Amino acid sequence: METVLVVDDEQGILEALADLLREEGYRVLTASHGREALERMSELRPDLVLTDWMMPVLDGPALIERIRAEPSWAGVSLLGMSAVDVGPLRVQYPGIPFLQKPFDIPALMKQVRKALDGKRAASG
Amino acid sequence: MTTGVPGLDGVLGGGLVTSGVYIVVGEPGAGKTLFANQLCYHQGRDGARCLYVTLLAESHARMLANMRDMAFFDSAQLPESVYYVSGFRTLEEQGLPGLLELLRREVRNHNTSILVLDGLVQAQEAAGSSRDFKKFIHELQVSASLSRFTALMLTSSNGPTVHPEYTMVDGILELRERTLGVRSWRELQVRKFRGGATLSGVHTFRISSQGLEVFPRLEARMRRTPPPDPGSERVHFGIPSLDALFPGGVAKGSTSLMLGPPGSGKTLMGSSLLSEGLRRGEQCLYMGFYESPERLLHKVAAAGMDMGEAVKEGRMHILWQPPAECILDVLADQLLSAVQRHQVTRVFVDGLSAMSQAAPDSSRISSFFAALTQELRIQCATTFFSLETPRLFGPVLDMPLEVGPSAVAENLFFLRHVELEGRLRRLLTIFKLRDTDYDPSIREFRISRQGIEVLPPFDVALDTLLTGLARHRTGGHP
Repeated sequence: METVLVVDDEQGILEALADLLREEGYRVLTASHGREALERMSELRPDLVLTDWMMPVLDGPALIERIRAEPSWAGVSLLGMSAVDVGPLRVQYPGIPFLQKPFDIPALMKQVRKALDGKRAASG
Repeated sequence: MTTGVPGLDGVLGGGLVTSGVYIVVGEPGAGKTLFANQLCYHQGRDGARCLYVTLLAESHARMLANMRDMAFFDSAQLPESVYYVSGFRTLEEQGLPGLLELLRREVRNHNTSILVLDGLVQAQEAAGSSRDFKKFIHELQVSASLSRFTALMLTSSNGPTVHPEYTMVDGILELRERTLGVRSWRELQVRKFRGGATLSGVHTFRISSQGLEVFPRLEARMRRTPPPDPGSERVHFGIPSLDALFPGGVAKGSTSLMLGPPGSGKTLMGSSLLSEGLRRGEQCLYMGFYESPERLLHKVAAAGMDMGEAVKEGRMHILWQPPAECILDVLADQLLSAVQRHQVTRVFVDGLSAMSQAAPDSSRISSFFAALTQELRIQCATTFFSLETPRLFGPVLDMPLEVGPSAVAENLFFLRHVELEGRLRRLLTIFKLRDTDYDPSIREFRISRQGIEVLPPFDVALDTLLTGLARHRTGGHP
């Protein structure tokens, strides 16, 4: 079972995403900001981190920086999401796909699947 | 600190005070979130860094989607200048101390100069006691002072608008929507404000694609300075037979009221004042509620007054506002702004009744009219108002509004229809004209392609002309 870590400070969104992904058969971890996400990752290495961009304590860019700096998390896929215009973010972070909030469920599932398949292809 | 909301800084005596803590209270949908966002993007443009913390509010994606069509919204400011985070989970798990810690930390992390806390009512409900909530506000105020940020806390009115717990904050702004019958409008009131001379009372605001726009109550913002002395400058209509009734003209900058039933010639009479102004090279303004600009120009052209060219040349300005759902202070703002912008010297407001219908509270008309005429006098604009009387005929001469407008106007003209010798005729009489002699006789006037012509006095003895039911002094109808 693939593990997805969802990171978002908006609790309603966090819970909704977690439920949807669980229904799709993923194991889901949640965190409401970047620091909490790092704590979760140190307990269980996820296959994908789906992270919001603007968050308290430790935001999306800082979280990604920390993940990339840790060699043991090298194979973890990253998927960003933001209510901010993601166009400039895609340019700034070329290796990371972004979901523009608000998004619909098919778009979310498609991106999650794509990110995980990409990881599998890269490792396989 | 300016708010970026047109009109609001004037109400607040200049804006918000830096490092102040403010509460914005209002029912859901009152415009609090929009106001706070407008302020953030306005200040963000000038380099401020704003932190927008939501508690149990709409999602950030939805909030931003609602802002995208607003003129003030600038996606380039995200996330550097305006940063959105949710504090709800922290509040749920750690209570007010945790929320306060989050606010302090995020303010530091983002070098915040403006903090918005959207959903204060959630914090209030999470507080164990009224004392805990007061302590939270007090500690936030201390932080604002130490870290030099200005805080805006948005809350829906839950119980009294001004809670005793709010006494420590620097200001309380209330936004509300009022309804009368099927009509609704928005109001803003400064319930408390430290550090500035605010305009007291209730002010209207509207929400459009520009965001919030406040129209300070005219009476509150009226200048108390006396209008400049017009000296000996006088104003005429440019109609020889009419000007002959008061050869001295009306004083420049004075206010005249022209009463009359529908079709009695008010629009053409007032327009002739403007036509003469245009002929003399002055800037003129017509404000009307019924006839569209095209219809008005056609109508006055048919009476020998071609204003089309002056409109094209920017010497004649027409403000047309269909009478439905107008806001009184918006009308005043449009009128006074245009007069000031174009340095208008002659104004004709065609339809004081339509203007007065824009006031949900009719008791305000007298003071509003006094303030409006005071501002027009200060700007040295000679102004005519037409006011429709309800009856076409009959022995009763109605004053359609309270006595206010007629008392404030220096000059009072009365137009009337009368049935005489089998014909409907138009009559003119001057009720009062300040500081000048005038002919008080009742005169018939005619409108033709050549314009208005006032006829000589009646050569037969007639009584009760002004009632519209004339009769010979010897008795009986003529």
